[in-house]
Amino acid sequence: MTTIEATELVKAYGRHRALDGMTLHARTGVTGLLGPNGAGKTTLLRVLATVLPADSGQLRVLGQDPYDAVGRRSVRRRLGYLPQDAGFHRGFTAFEAVDYVAVLKEHTDTRARHEEVRRVLDLVALGDVATKRVRALSGGMRQRLGLAQALLGDPPLLVLDEPTVGLDPEQRMRFRDLVSEAGQGRTVILSTHQTEDVAAVCSDVVVVKEGRSVFTGTPTELASLATGRVWVDDAKDPRAVAGWRVGAGHYHHIGDPPAGAELVDPTIEDAYLLLLGPQAAQGRGEAA
Amino acid sequence: MTTTPWHLDGELAGRYAVGTVGPVLAASVEQHLVACVPCRSLLAPHVDTPRLDLVWAEVLEEVEAPRPTLLERLLGSIGMSDATARLVAATPSLRGAWVTGMSVVLALSLLAAYVADNGVAVFLALAPVLPALGVAAAYGPAADPAHEIVAATPYSAVRLLALRTAFVVATTLVPAAVAGLLLPGPAHLALAWLLPGLALTVGTVAVSTWIAPHQAAAALTVAWLAVSLRALAPRHDPLLVTTTPVVLGCTVALAAAAAVLLVQRRDIADVIRRTA
Ligand SMILES: Nc1ncnc2c1ncn2[C@@H]1O[C@H](COP(=O)(O)OP(=O)(O)OP(=O)(O)O)[C@@H](O)[C@H]1O
Ligand SMILES: [Mg+2]
Ligand SMILES: [Zn+2]
Repeated sequence: MTTIEATELVKAYGRHRALDGMTLHARTGVTGLLGPNGAGKTTLLRVLATVLPADSGQLRVLGQDPYDAVGRRSVRRRLGYLPQDAGFHRGFTAFEAVDYVAVLKEHTDTRARHEEVRRVLDLVALGDVATKRVRALSGGMRQRLGLAQALLGDPPLLVLDEPTVGLDPEQRMRFRDLVSEAGQGRTVILSTHQTEDVAAVCSDVVVVKEGRSVFTGTPTELASLATGRVWVDDAKDPRAVAGWRVGAGHYHHIGDPPAGAELVDPTIEDAYLLLLGPQAAQGRGEAA
Repeated sequence: MTTTPWHLDGELAGRYAVGTVGPVLAASVEQHLVACVPCRSLLAPHVDTPRLDLVWAEVLEEVEAPRPTLLERLLGSIGMSDATARLVAATPSLRGAWVTGMSVVLALSLLAAYVADNGVAVFLALAPVLPALGVAAAYGPAADPAHEIVAATPYSAVRLLALRTAFVVATTLVPAAVAGLLLPGPAHLALAWLLPGLALTVGTVAVSTWIAPHQAAAALTVAWLAVSLRALAPRHDPLLVTTTPVVLGCTVALAAAAAVLLVQRRDIADVIRRTA
């Protein structure tokens, strides 16, 4: 089933178009948005989460029109949203912070609401710090608190903006389990800079560049874009679009391989960097 | 909080399970049990499992769930639902800093009314601004770090804003009315700031359907101060201005217009009203 149908969305800030003809269709499962800083991922997710109206384009979320007051409310009732910089009142306890959102999500019965708050805190492994104040939580714990409120009421649509930022490896694994499970029968749409996240949990991936989608498909399809364009060599090859050191004395290259090069299987990251073009790819080469 | 250096032993667990420990010790046992799984399992032999779960749920509710504040209990007693009272209690401007700030401003302008030539004018110019600023401190991206999350919930933004405005106005009115009564001059002077205060507050809420509340309040405050200080300052009798039928009429008309706007724009307000 198609949960999100966004066609030709445009959203401008002044003269700059953060979304410039963005088209995206998301169905049940986990859709990952990949894209460099400033590509428009957050802007897109905010439009999908009904907090920011687009200037033009068509949008249907969960079969509803979010620009109509009734449709918007119906979307919000079935939506869990983790914004990029989720914050909470620093004086609230972890429990109070999630409880506050639960009230706004129309969990009116106090007893049942408290149980639900406890359930989502346990899901993100914050059950033990429920009575700690937000100001006393670590960055990764705050990130998980944001995730906890998004899970309230087990919504059929989850919109998560960079959910794995700041998580340690253990919590990252836990998050992947959580999202994979949520992807069964629900729609999760998340943005990330980690191609590993995409490989691990996404059934679909959309690459966003300058406010539009430049690739839509499965992670395997994305990786296969780079088939025949990835090779390894003992020395750095200057003809490659980008090359970086992997392991002892080996260099991993992407671009047009020289004759007789030792080709290797492409990863999602290889394809992603090739899609973005030489500049982004060289950034990776230098960082490595 | 520091980590607890002690753990339960079988004996204490047994006494806790049958309820023969004192209230102070019981409270610290509960606090400890919330954080310590091994000690929780010590209770198991003393209680059958379904009952243990029940007890455990009770303990969690007792220890973790926010206790209703005095304000929440007060609101409950006048018939407000628990959930709504929670939203009111979570209003940033009902928290200490706002109340302190407002009292300081009132005290200072009251002092000005006594010592300065045009002091009463200063009071009449400043007091109406307070509830409007309180609204700005009660809702929106500047006041609530969780605003982006709040904006995506089904709870009506206008309802939430109105709810908080009502309580901000209530909490501002009481101290401002007391200060007004202490003003030098005729008793009805105390009321001269009420109407403009009302107009500014409703106006702030209405303009908040276009821009963020803190911007709306700031814009209206500047406009009001520009008008009122210029009109008041050169005269020694501030009543001349605030009770002129024309001025009063204008104020009432403005408040009414703002209220109509607000009702008309209540749906639009659900999406926008933020510094996106
Ligand atoms: N409130 C705003 N006002 C002005 N410009 C904005 C605003 N929000 C975003 N932009 C601009 O829109 C473009 C897209 O931003 P957006 O936050 O959507 O990118 P992103 O893909 O989420 O980036 P990142 O990976 O860094 O989170 C950027 O050029 C940004 O500067
Ligand atoms: Mg972003
Ligand atoms: Zn213990």
